Amino acid sequence: MPRIGIRDPTRMPMTVSLSQHLQTHRDEILAEWFAKWLPADNSGQPGWASPAQTRHIMQTLFDQILSALTTAPPDQLPDLDEQAPLCVHLRHLAAEQARNPEQATDPLRLLFSLRQLLLRHVTAWDRKSETLSMAEPMLRLDRYFDRIALFAFNSILSLRDRHISEQNLSLMELSTPVLRLWHQILLLPLVGIIDTGRARQIADHLLEAIARHEARVTVIDLTGVPIIDTSVAQHIMKTIDAARLLGSRVVLTGISPEGAQTLTKLGIRFGDVICRASLRAGIAEALMITGKRITAMEDPAHP
Amino acid sequence: MQAARAARQMAEHLGFGRAQAYHVATAASELTANMAVHAGGGTLHLQPLTDNDGSIIGLEMRAEDQGPGIPDLDLAMTEGYSTARRLGCGLPGASRLMDEFSISSTFGQGTRIRAIKWCRHRPVDRS
Repeated sequence: MPRIGIRDPTRMPMTVSLSQHLQTHRDEILAEWFAKWLPADNSGQPGWASPAQTRHIMQTLFDQILSALTTAPPDQLPDLDEQAPLCVHLRHLAAEQARNPEQATDPLRLLFSLRQLLLRHVTAWDRKSETLSMAEPMLRLDRYFDRIALFAFNSILSLRDRHISEQNLSLMELSTPVLRLWHQILLLPLVGIIDTGRARQIADHLLEAIARHEARVTVIDLTGVPIIDTSVAQHIMKTIDAARLLGSRVVLTGISPEGAQTLTKLGIRFGDVICRASLRAGIAEALMITGKRITAMEDPAHP
Repeated sequence: MQAARAARQMAEHLGFGRAQAYHVATAASELTANMAVHAGGGTLHLQPLTDNDGSIIGLEMRAEDQGPGIPDLDLAMTEGYSTARRLGCGLPGASRLMDEFSISSTFGQGTRIRAIKWCRHRPVDRS
């Protein structure tokens, strides 16, 4: 292995640089690290990587950290460039990790265990050379690891955030279908928790559908709404008012007996909105408003 | 809404009826919504109340926040009054949903609300 990294050979001619020291002990440190990390993991067998893969990940990580330490000027911290191989590797690690949320802290634990190991080796190196103060390189290493850990943590967090916002979006898309039940009759089955964002989206969808289909009646079914509190009620009332302005009457269905009791205790009045206990009754009402009804087919044998 | 779910689960776990569990859940949802809107957040504690012999007699709910506080409690408990252009029946409604309701607020320091829902088998002294 080529020896690089002695920046100032005149000042410390007899000592090897820290990175060089670590480089010469690379295999030793790596073996120690593997021994520390892998057995504990094998027992639980983490889903994200086989021992061979983990070994490879750790080795790459170690080499990249070492090369960053080697190439940086001794009085500065190595740069954590977005495009640096180390950062790419860390991001990759974070992406792997994102699939196993229960082991989200693994990359950090990995880094911390390596830091501990390296610091111990630094003390060993210093005892031999006895020229430099021990604190300086240790502090530098420590701060470097802090930055790496911070970077890893940030990558994990930003990945999570992205997942969450993507899920939010897909939930939003899933949750508010406006169905055309019959000519001029729309059905809006509400399922799940209604917060302000969803309420606005529901209203948008519904009003747009009312205008498009020239709906005269809209059945809003609340069977799937777990809790109707004042804010949910308020959102629904606003939607109803807006629907009315577009010329559509609203039939409210699916309020549970407990829900009805709670609403009255809360002091919420749904005023002159037509309410029906079940979706079936609501649809019958909607058909009646539009002058239709569902009847049994006439028996052709007895006209 | 998480609070409402937790409150409902707890109430059902404690053997409340469906309607009562719904009341508790809605009250929890009102109180947390209030804290979120007016105080920018707060904490809601749910706690089962037990009798001396260990049987469950009720559920206590404590909402605490470090918000601006409520300057006029009577006004805040008035039906239809709201500073945030909401329906204005959250607080009075929640107090009706629960069996006992006490509120204290220090201007500029936050608001504490304590509410209790008794089980159907109420202690004798309350009947």
